[in-house]
Amino acid sequence: MMLRINNNKQRNAQFLWGWLFILPTMIGLIILNIIPIFRTIFQSFFKTGDFGKGNIFIGLQNYSKLFEDTEVWQSLWNTIKYVIVEVPVSIMIALIIAVLLNQKIKGKSIFRTIFFLPMIAAPAAIAMVWRWLYNSQFGLLNNVFNLDVAWISDPSIAIYSIAVIGIWSVVGYNIVLFLAGLQEIPRDYYEAARIDGASGINQFFHITIPLLSPSIFFVSVTRMIAAFQVFDLIYMVMTDTNPAIEKTQSLVYLFYQYSFTYGNKGYGATIAVLLLVVIMMITGIQIYAQKKWVHYS
Amino acid sequence: MKKLMALFMVMILALSIAGCKNETITDQGKSEGGSTTKDNAVSKSSDKLTVAIWDTNQQAGLQEIMNDWSAQSGVKAEIQVLSWDEYWTLLEAGASGGSMPDVFWMHSNNSQKYIKNNLLLDLTDQILASDKIDMNHYYEDISELYAMDQKQYAMPKDIDTIALWYNKTMFDEAGVPYPDSTWTWDTLYETAKKLTKDDGSQYGYAINTGNNQDSYYNAIYAYSGKVISEDKKTSGYDDPKTIEAMEVFEKILNEGLSPNLQIMAENGADVLLKSGKVAMITQGSWMVPGFRDNEYTSENCDIAVLPKAPDGTRVSIYNGLGWAAAANGKNTDAAWSLIEYLSTKEAQLKQAELGVTMSAYKGTSEEWKNGVPYFNLQAYLDMLDATLIIRPYSLSTSIWEDMVNKELRAAWSGEATMKDTLIKIAESMNKTLAEE
Repeated sequence: MMLRINNNKQRNAQFLWGWLFILPTMIGLIILNIIPIFRTIFQSFFKTGDFGKGNIFIGLQNYSKLFEDTEVWQSLWNTIKYVIVEVPVSIMIALIIAVLLNQKIKGKSIFRTIFFLPMIAAPAAIAMVWRWLYNSQFGLLNNVFNLDVAWISDPSIAIYSIAVIGIWSVVGYNIVLFLAGLQEIPRDYYEAARIDGASGINQFFHITIPLLSPSIFFVSVTRMIAAFQVFDLIYMVMTDTNPAIEKTQSLVYLFYQYSFTYGNKGYGATIAVLLLVVIMMITGIQIYAQKKWVHYS
Repeated sequence: MKKLMALFMVMILALSIAGCKNETITDQGKSEGGSTTKDNAVSKSSDKLTVAIWDTNQQAGLQEIMNDWSAQSGVKAEIQVLSWDEYWTLLEAGASGGSMPDVFWMHSNNSQKYIKNNLLLDLTDQILASDKIDMNHYYEDISELYAMDQKQYAMPKDIDTIALWYNKTMFDEAGVPYPDSTWTWDTLYETAKKLTKDDGSQYGYAINTGNNQDSYYNAIYAYSGKVISEDKKTSGYDDPKTIEAMEVFEKILNEGLSPNLQIMAENGADVLLKSGKVAMITQGSWMVPGFRDNEYTSENCDIAVLPKAPDGTRVSIYNGLGWAAAANGKNTDAAWSLIEYLSTKEAQLKQAELGVTMSAYKGTSEEWKNGVPYFNLQAYLDMLDATLIIRPYSLSTSIWEDMVNKELRAAWSGEATMKDTLIKIAESMNKTLAEE
């Protein structure tokens, strides 16, 4: 009897402490994330006045405008193009480098540091440096390779130039996650494979990738979400007189324009809701598709 | 179980990242809350004012003037510099959330909007009561930018005009006489032809596509065209005179006398002058400190008055900033005291002497002119005697200006004719103006 009371007490205490520990995060999430999500959805039904005063309820007008707005769909297409380039390429490069860095090579930790460095630099600083590299008149790229390419003002390639910056800055982060995943793969598998005569490439495709698939899945989902929200790179690299801006602006960039430059927060909120729906849909598809290829041990 | 956990984690992540973004829309005011409490604490102890501006070039000079005020009043004033875009985002967030800086710059693009929403401190009574200030001493058009219904909401800070910068070395090399007061906009075009090299290493003129005030606005008004009607109800972009003026620039771009739009968008006219790529640009007086501190421009460049229209009209668009205070500020007395001091003849003279900008106080420009001996700053003063047109504005200036910037690119790049583009612009701008 005594034992059970003690047990109950202990369980209650555990329960209490458990909640106490996650409470700060919960409060933070609710105040900073959950409430604003619903306020944004709420705001998308209004024609907002200056400085948050005098909002007028207009029902679905913002949404009907959104569906006819070619600028929005062009921006969505730009964003998708960015995601399609940035996410797979950054994962592939990171995967290869992570596997190489996991070998016994000299100066391993130096390489790891070097690859992670872009992650520490401020995105604004990165964008400024790349902007100069890309500059068609004075830029390093054109001068060293003797080219005459308008990297960031030619509408047909500007978005890819920006995706390259994105890949460059995110590869280090992916590498670290993959390295952590690689540590978890038991050495025995590789030894067994070697005895059976499997080549390095075969080992990579038949041992490393399947066993690393949970990490790859995690990285691809989080990177996809982050890539859909690309803003700072475009904001820093492009100017509004740039001839390529229509073909490069992302949904978040457009949202920023409407909310802060034009002061039309209601329509800005509508664009944000569209982005939310797109991200949820794609994440949902990814989670469904993981059954086919992700192996949890 | 693991799968379920993973699913849950991913959903939370998706929501929270999306949430972060949304947060910036709805709760921008609140997320600035951290600084609110700080500001409040500072203001309560009433020994420090926060001052917000957007031009780094002016910071040092203004801080020096404000230190003089601090010595008298015992209140410190601390200047924060933001970039132009950030400045307006922050100010709007502060206005929505109820925590603006104590004292800050106002610009004609946004002044009407802020005044209409009662966000700026009404200075009318204090001005009347003050023995240091007489509104007659300032340029009326600039005072008017910050007034509504006979009430004054900001004190004029400075005045700016536009002039023509040219590279003396390139003119000498080509054997072409320097620009002078006889020039028309057509002379500029003809000279640009002579100064352009075929290999793209040197261009005659660069138009600042990102800034209307220091480039094509001046020509439009010189040709007696307009950007917006007197009553601010209709666009002037389809005015035949406006089109005629803009076609001069069309010609310059189409004939390759100016770097193409892509180069311009990536670099800006001032950078191209500083790097010796172009022979002529038109720039505002607020750019002088930048060119003064640049080794190349200080050695090779000089200033002349803007060209005139064929009928002899010379126009400079002008503008001036205002010093404003927050209506709901915690320390409005100190804020007014600072603004009052900044508007006195003494402080305005010092602003000119230090080369910060030309001052809004009439008769102080001579001091400014002597600030940089190797540039002919007299050109900017001469532009004050030309026909002065205040920078066109309305309640929604920033919306239609942005649209014009975007639409004009078709004409700059030669995809559409200038005339068609301008007519399209006028239609769109009329729509925006109708919604004001």
